Formats: sequence, C-alpha cells, structure tokens
Amino acid sequence: MAPSREAMVNRGDEDEVCPVCKSSRYLNPDMRFLINPECYHKMCESCVDRIFSSGPANCPVAGCHKTLRKNRFRKQTFEDIHVEREVDIRRRVMTVLNRREEEFDSKLDWDNFLEQREEIIFNLVNGIDVAKTEADLQKYAADNMRSIRANQVIEAKEVTSFQERQNQEQELARMRRQAAREEYENERKELLAGREDMLSRLASGRPADAAAIAREGQKVMLKKSSARRSEEERIRQKQAALRGTDAKKPGQPTVAAEEGGSGLIKGLKKIKTPEPEKPYDPFGGIIPNQRDYFTLQDHYPSTYLDPIRQDTRMLAGGYDLQEYYSRTMLEAFAGLGCFIDDELSQRQAHSFNVMKPVGTQGAALAATSTSTAGK
Amino acid sequence: MAFSPLVAPSPSATALLKKGSATGQENESQLRHSSSDREITEQLNDEVRHKYIKAKKLGEGTYAVVFLGHLRADPSSFVAIKKIKVNAEYKDGLSMDAIREVKYLQELSHPNIIALHDVFSSKDQNLNLVLEYLPRGDLEMLIKDSNIHYGVADIKAWMGMLLRGVWFCHKNFVLHRDIKPNNLLIASDGEVKLADFGLARSFADPYLNMTHQVITRWYRPPELLYGARQYSGAVDIWSVAMVFAELLLRVPFVAGNSDLDQIARICEAFGTPTEDNWPGVSKLPNYIPADANHLIPGQSRDFFLRQFPTAGAVGADLLMSMCTLDPRKRSTAYQALRHSWWATEPRPTNKEDLPRKSGGTKKMGDDLTRRGGELDDQFKHAARQLDFSAMKA
Repeated sequence: MAPSREAMVNRGDEDEVCPVCKSSRYLNPDMRFLINPECYHKMCESCVDRIFSSGPANCPVAGCHKTLRKNRFRKQTFEDIHVEREVDIRRRVMTVLNRREEEFDSKLDWDNFLEQREEIIFNLVNGIDVAKTEADLQKYAADNMRSIRANQVIEAKEVTSFQERQNQEQELARMRRQAAREEYENERKELLAGREDMLSRLASGRPADAAAIAREGQKVMLKKSSARRSEEERIRQKQAALRGTDAKKPGQPTVAAEEGGSGLIKGLKKIKTPEPEKPYDPFGGIIPNQRDYFTLQDHYPSTYLDPIRQDTRMLAGGYDLQEYYSRTMLEAFAGLGCFIDDELSQRQAHSFNVMKPVGTQGAALAATSTSTAGK
Repeated sequence: MAFSPLVAPSPSATALLKKGSATGQENESQLRHSSSDREITEQLNDEVRHKYIKAKKLGEGTYAVVFLGHLRADPSSFVAIKKIKVNAEYKDGLSMDAIREVKYLQELSHPNIIALHDVFSSKDQNLNLVLEYLPRGDLEMLIKDSNIHYGVADIKAWMGMLLRGVWFCHKNFVLHRDIKPNNLLIASDGEVKLADFGLARSFADPYLNMTHQVITRWYRPPELLYGARQYSGAVDIWSVAMVFAELLLRVPFVAGNSDLDQIARICEAFGTPTEDNWPGVSKLPNYIPADANHLIPGQSRDFFLRQFPTAGAVGADLLMSMCTLDPRKRSTAYQALRHSWWATEPRPTNKEDLPRKSGGTKKMGDDLTRRGGELDDQFKHAARQLDFSAMKA
C-alpha cells in the first residue's frame, strides 16, 4: 500500500516526539500534531483526545495555564509557529477592521487606516499594550457590527464574482480552442472534398475543358475560404461585444458606515443618515386652540346678542355667535401676552433676516431652469 | 393667538434709530436740507422709502403697478413693491382695497400668508406696499400647464399650506373673501402663500351687514349667491374646497357664467338647497325657490368618490365636508386640518420638491396688480353680465 502524499508530509522527522506524551513518530507513524491558537503549544492528536474529550482543560505544557477547548485544535499550516500565530492574529484583526477604500475621504486617510491596522497587528503579535488594543478592537467591533457585516458580505460577493469570472474566462478560452480546432478540421475536409470534386469532373469532362474546370475549382475554393473568414470575423466581434458587456457589470454599491467609526478610525466619509421624517403636522407647528388667559363658554347671557339665536336669516348665512364670543374674548386678552421689550430686541436681531427667506432671484431662476431642463 | 401691532415690521422704531444713516442717492441732499423743518411722519416715511430700491416693473393693472425691488443695504434681498394708483377711482382718498390690504396684512404673520414688510408713500402721494417677493408664480399657472404633472401628494402639500393660511386668518378673525388659484402665490422655497387681501375684512360682528358681492364667482359659496349679509369663515372654506376640486380636476369645478348660472351649477353638482338640508335658506334675501319638480337630491359620498377618484376615499370625504351647502355644517379650517386625510398615505410632498414652473415673476406682477374679485381679462365681459343679473335677482 503506497502511502498517500498527505501521510508523507505528515511524517516529517522520524524522531519527532510529542512534547506531552513523549511518543515518537518512530513508534507511531500515523501521529498528527495539532495546535490551539490560545497558546500554540504543539501536541499529538491522541493527547488532545485524551485530555480535552471531557471538556475544557488546562494546557498540559508545564508553565502554560491557558484553558483550551478541543474544538479549537487544528492542524498547523506553517512550519514556524510564530508565523502561524501572526497569520491568525492578522486574520482576526482584518475581519474586524474591514473598512474599504471607498469609505474614506481621501487616499491619505485610507493609507493612515492601513498603517493603523498594521500597528494593531504588530502590537498584538509582539505583546505590546495588548489589553488596551484588544479592548479598543472589541469596542469597535461592537459599535460597528452592521458595517462590518456589510463589508464582509461585499467581500464574499467579490470573491465569488472573481471566481465566477475566472471560470467564465477559462470556459471561453476552452470554447475558442475548440472552435479553432473544428475550423481547421472543416477547412481541411473542404479542401479535400473540393480537390476530389475537381478531379472527378476532370475525369468525366472533355480534355478541352480541363483548364476551365481547374480555374473554376480554384475560384470556388477561394470564395469558400473568404466566406469562412468573414464568418469568423463576425463571431469574433460578437464574442468581443459579449465580453464588453460582462466587463461593464455594475460596481458594488458602497455600504454606509455608521457614526464615523467610534473614534478608532479617522477620515471616514461622513455618512448622512437621513433624519427620520417627523409625522406631518397639518397645523404647521402652531398649537391650535391655545388660550392662556380665558376659557370660552358656550353661552354668555346678553339681551343684545340673544335674539340672534332665533334669527334664522343670520344663522342660515352661516353667522356663528360662538365666533363673536371667541373674538371678543380674544381681543379682550390679546395684549396680555405681548412683551414689547422682548419683541423689540428680537426684531432688531432679526430685522434683516426677515426678508432672507424670500431668496435670491438668481437661485430661483437656477432652480426653475434646472427643473425645466429635467423635463 | 395674541398679536400686537408691533409684530408687524412697522418702520417707526428702526427708522428712528437709523436716522441720518440713509445713503439715498437722488434725494439725499434734499433730505438733509429739509429734515429740520419737516414733520416727523414725513421723515419716517422718507426713511422707509429709502430703505428700498425699485428695480424693474413686473406688471401693471388699472389699480396698481408692481415693481421688483430690493433693500438698499442688501441687493440680494428681493421684495415686490406694489404701488397703488391713487387717482384711478378714489380722488379724495385711498381705495378700500389698499386700506384693507394694509390693515389686515400688517396684523397677520404666518408662513402661508404673504408678508407685508413696509408701507410708504412716494412723491406723488401714491401708496406703496412692500410685499414679500414670490418668484414662482401661482397655483393657477401650475393647474393650467398641461406639461406639469402632479399627484395627490403634491395636492395634499398645497392644500395643507392653503388651509393653514386660511385657518390662521380665521383664527384671527379675518376673512379673505377672494381665495382662488391665482391668489395663491408660490415662494422660492415652494411655500404657497395667500395673497391679495384687497377684499379681506374682520368678521363675527353681530348685526353688522357685510357685502355679498365678494369672492370670484366660481369660488363663491351658495350663501353669498343667495345674498346673505351675515356670514362667517365658511365662505372661505367653500372657496378652498373649489380650489381643491380644481387641483384634482385641473379645470374649475363649478364655473358658471352668471350668478344665476352659478347657482344652477352648484345645485346640479351638490344638490338643491332646501329647508331640509339647509334650515332657513329660504329666508336669505336673494333666495330663488327651486322648481319643486326639479329638486336634485344632495350628493352622496359615492358621487365625490366617483368625481374625484384621485383624491381617494378619505380625500373625497374631506372635500365633501368642505363643500356642504349649509355653512353651519361645513367644516371649519380647524376641522379640515384635523381630518384624517393628512395622516393617510401618501405623505404630503416636501415643499422643496413640489412641481415648479418658470416665468413666475411675471405672473406675480399680474396677480398683484389685479383688483380683488376680478376675473382674468378673458372673462371681463362675463363679469359685467354678472352684475346685471345680480341686480335683477
């Protein structure tokens, strides 16, 4: 039984020894080593099974008190355990700080962001200020959950679309190759058929016609090949056009980030979150029926006014005594709410602003001309 | 709402403060020269007059000329200056229209009512009203232009602004008495403003007769056609309802060519007024008893829904409540604004996004020079006919 390629790779040194159970590869050729990204201590698969099967436990390596879980154990990708660790950290930071260039105001801001990200990774890898960096990162992740999620989706989409495009291109290349092959075949077949046809005609014809038949055959050949060439040209153009439309696929929409990145990242584009529309107020902000100084009664006895209650003509015209009550009361109390000093100072402050909303003629003209142009 | 005479931007206080600082060009020397021996009112008037510069003429009518003007201090702040021709009709004083306009506009300050910034008299004793500059024309222009498309949301926005303006007038006991689409001017930000207070007056005084010859005929309510001398804000609401219907249909809804015809058309559209649906209607001075065989029953909700499908069921209900024959049963502006239509979909368009049309400046000039109650030029002839029939009836 030939050992698989995988087994060969795993084999490594003959005298490799598990640091935990000290069993060596010499005795156990199928031994596989696993690591846990908590502490990156290496141990063999059987040790992992033995120690961590019944739930989380401490790392068996002396002096390391990290609590490890079985499901986090995995195979080492890189020979150097430091590289392995850095790659892991980088991946973790990148999934959190996954801002995209479109989200920044300028190139400089984007570069600053990239540098900041590298610095964070460097700090984590080399254990500088780890607690603070981790806390920052965690806070950022919590605050920007939505934009992180959105960017992840975009990224995944980009990856799949890239793969799709690659597959498509390969398919196209394959088709082109096949077409070329078929074309060559056809050409050869036709050439042979034409020659045969000419020969048979020469054989059956009179000797005097020989030159004419040969010329005709030549002409037919030429015509066929030129027709083929133009056909080929047409197909090529069609394909080019197809490729063109593929290339013009609409770009990914940039996804809005919220509230400017919680202070960790600077230079993010200000996203205008549309203010939630207030419910329409039919009264335009004025509180109806607000009376500060009186309450209106339904009836104020008066010998002068009471006859109106019986006057059908006045009432039929829509005259409403209630309105008269309301008006007289309003007029009686109207002056009480006015504070002339306040109004004077206010007016002086606003004396010129009053006319501002009128707007400039230029603005009005511009507005109307754009709207008519849009029609 | 309480209002003091100081709310209106009266010129006196600021003018006094800035005395001597005016930088008038043509009259400056004259002003300085005679300032000592002239009356203080004249000085004040000159101060106000020199605050503004008249630029070009926007329109001219028999009654007034409208100029585009701006503040001397700030050339970007435009105003419309309406100069009322003093000698046209009233040789011994000011015309009623001008007095009414000044009297009521200076008391009303609301986003949906045209603002009166200042009043002054010019050299030849003409009265000049400095009004808000509204460069985007009026609603009539938009209704008539078939190139402009608007929907229920736009109508809702316009009606909301119109009703707010009317409500504010009525709240302060001012009747407008000439609401129609070409008195509804549009500001540069899209806000609709009630203009032309030439027929306005205060109301609710008991036993005080008011004229029934107001409001342009198509927008005149039945009680005025029947000659009622005591009426209320309901007359304006009828006009608002007619504007609403016109916005929906894009043609005037009940357009009679005489007062009698107008009554006939109203009966046709809304039912014949009887003692049943309008108690006391037969007591009105110009009431014409309807032919008993020809009684048209009052229209149901379905009629409005069929006639105005664009408004939707709730909108049709609001319209119906605003054009009830009996003015006592008609919605008030306050009730209309409380209607559920404002809360139903679609939400009113933001004022900045409303349909607009260029050429509004000229239209504003025309609108402001017109006298209250006048129809457009093409209907002038019809308007004379109207007066005849009204007298006979």
